[in-house]
Amino acid sequence: MKKRCVITGLGIVCPVGNNVEESWDNIQKGKSGIAEVTSVNTEGCYARLGGEVKCKELPAPQFDRSVRLCIKASQEAIADAGLQKKIGEAGIIVGSCIGGAVSIDEYLTAQKEGREDDSRISNMAASSIANNTAAYLGLNGVTANIVNACAAGTMSIAYACDLIRSGNGSLFLAGGTDPFSSLAFAGFHALQALSVESCSPLNHSKGITLGEGSGILVVEEYEHAVARGARIYCEVAGYGVNCDAYHITAPDPTGQGQMDVIQRALKSADAVPGEIAYINAHGTGTAKNDEAEFLSLHTIFDGTDVSVSSTKSMTGHCLGAAGAVEAVFTVKAVSEDILPPTIGYSEEDKAVLAEKAGELDFVANESRQKAIPMAMSNSFAFGGTNASIIFAKGEHPVEDVPRERIFVTGFGQVFSEDTDEAAGTARVNLEMKDFTERGVKLGVFRKLDKFSQLQLISGIDALTSAGITVTEENERRIGTIIGTSAGPVTEVSNFQKNICEKGTTAGSAFTFPNTVYNAAGGHFSIFTKTKGYCATIANGTQAGIQSICYACDVLEKGNEDIMLAAGTDEGSDMVTYFYEHSHINGDRTLGEGSSTICLETEASARKRQAHKYAQIAGYACTHSAGQAGYTEADAMTEAITRALALAEMEAGQIEAIYAITSNQAAKESEEAVLERIFAGRKVIDVRETTGDCRAASANMQVMKAAKGIDEKQYKSAVAVSYGCGSYSAVVLK
Amino acid sequence: MERTEVAAKIKAMLVENLRIPEEILEEDSELFGGDIGLDSVDSLEIIAGIDDLFSVNMTGVDKTNFRDINALTSYVVEHAEA
Repeated sequence: MKKRCVITGLGIVCPVGNNVEESWDNIQKGKSGIAEVTSVNTEGCYARLGGEVKCKELPAPQFDRSVRLCIKASQEAIADAGLQKKIGEAGIIVGSCIGGAVSIDEYLTAQKEGREDDSRISNMAASSIANNTAAYLGLNGVTANIVNACAAGTMSIAYACDLIRSGNGSLFLAGGTDPFSSLAFAGFHALQALSVESCSPLNHSKGITLGEGSGILVVEEYEHAVARGARIYCEVAGYGVNCDAYHITAPDPTGQGQMDVIQRALKSADAVPGEIAYINAHGTGTAKNDEAEFLSLHTIFDGTDVSVSSTKSMTGHCLGAAGAVEAVFTVKAVSEDILPPTIGYSEEDKAVLAEKAGELDFVANESRQKAIPMAMSNSFAFGGTNASIIFAKGEHPVEDVPRERIFVTGFGQVFSEDTDEAAGTARVNLEMKDFTERGVKLGVFRKLDKFSQLQLISGIDALTSAGITVTEENERRIGTIIGTSAGPVTEVSNFQKNICEKGTTAGSAFTFPNTVYNAAGGHFSIFTKTKGYCATIANGTQAGIQSICYACDVLEKGNEDIMLAAGTDEGSDMVTYFYEHSHINGDRTLGEGSSTICLETEASARKRQAHKYAQIAGYACTHSAGQAGYTEADAMTEAITRALALAEMEAGQIEAIYAITSNQAAKESEEAVLERIFAGRKVIDVRETTGDCRAASANMQVMKAAKGIDEKQYKSAVAVSYGCGSYSAVVLK
Repeated sequence: MERTEVAAKIKAMLVENLRIPEEILEEDSELFGGDIGLDSVDSLEIIAGIDDLFSVNMTGVDKTNFRDINALTSYVVEHAEA
């Protein structure tokens, strides 16, 4: 069955407005939201401008500002879609770059002043954004936080469509959120990437101006929207996600990755370049981005009558929210046939632009009417992640690819074998030689924080174990999904600590690139040259299994042959401190590690004559907002039963049961669910040997299950995990 | 400040801020290119580190002055205010 995904609601809060009407009105008038920054101390900084949200009444003060912005935009989108009474079934996919950095700042600032505010700790990880928003709004559909920096907002909409097409829901809130933060300001300041004057994308290109905000789109299955008589703005016609595998912060100057992702989106929409009437460019205003983007756009679109603009000239760069904010403007452009402008061109600039523009129409300073049957929005991020999405009027069903069987063909893992009983921790001690023996040179090794180190080792080992050599032929058909609970928490906290103590000018250019959650994936792709789909999801412990579910969805779309699906979480004294102070780990040993599983389509495995350890027969993700009517136990039950149903198996046929249950309130009811479904049979908890490595432990369960099947210890197994209100389950045979 | 003292401080800064293993970092080790392989982002970190340690601004300074610890030390010694 072909499933069409349509946009039925919009919500936004950004520097140019507190809602869609006000924001779109200002965008059409070319009004900028950029001014002197007030929320970050810019003392001593060479640049002081930013785009801040003017709204003084954000809901839910108990949450991080990222969540408050997200709830505000979500509420508008829900009302706009006429969904107030039906929102319980919706899932939420949120993109974020900096996660709860504002809460980390607040915590450290309070600590510096001699106060302890442990309530901020549970707001620090990006994992908490979708969960807190879902709890506040009562959403029980699949949740995830896509944390691929500045491409995250675009990717979230694409992932929501994937989930709809694979039958994981009919209704999603999807978009992105990022607050103004000292972390991002100090980081881009250290990189000297901030513009002194208001950013001037596709024009002077002297740097970015940071923004903030949230954009949320209601993504709905077409039949579902029609059945409830919803107003349809447009359709999501296609999208693409890939990786440059070039540099951790800079785009590939040849534009190869950008062009590849645009072609992926066009192919997915079954469209040719001439059909695209408008492109909302990434257009950050850095020289490197703008040069690469001019090149990509000219190469693909010269000879067409496409119009291009960067609305970042008015909003600033809203990072993880950027793609979502720009998606809202692109949807408005399509539905109202209006081209939003890039502002800031003087008469002299226009003469320069005329030369640079060549055959392309850059919409300078003023919005215009134009028939826009189809429009594209592009986002390119740190870590080399690229995403492109196409919105269109009319009918654009995505061709259904027959469901392929997916096999586990390799794995890599790194865990500690030594527990420090007194400290209650199990740490992995990695040295330079661990990397040199895998061909990693010092220049690369130096750049890695612990989170990236762990991921690089397990990822390389997974490729080796599967017997995969990355070549120019297969590099674009190998992708990576990394799941994490807390991400690079040590690097983020140290960066933040430094600027809390010494001021905004003390940001480290060296460590800043690693503060984005997808840096580990970026380092991995740069080293291995894997250029396919890449995503990092932060969603509690179960993200280590959700990454497998996500990777299977990607494989079933037919773009990739091989997907590495990982779970990675680091330990450090700081991590221990946060866990102890938030009391979320119970008395369990806090471990660290990384587990990567190589997943492959049957056709690819056959062609390579790869060893198949086990088949991923079924998988499912669920979420509970933690309210009566659909409890955590209900969500866990549904994840397991749906995975079993997809595998066409009964619970009684499952011979090995791996499960990770919560350390908190839900633990007892979760154990009761396992007891009920699996009739009291033994449940294996992998954390007993390695400590609680969170997402790494969740992923390791699947690795152990596959090995057990391969070694004929049992014929089938299930792996289940909880995390941040979500549950995921995988059935192997 | 003594030249040896400046060199030692620069070395410690490179080890701490740029995660270069101490045991392979000599005063004549080539910092950019070669095994250590520093890049443009790292040079920003060096500029910030030198400014922090010695109040010497190396922004826009010719890259030959960044070749190794010796070159950095010479530049600092020459430009530091007594």
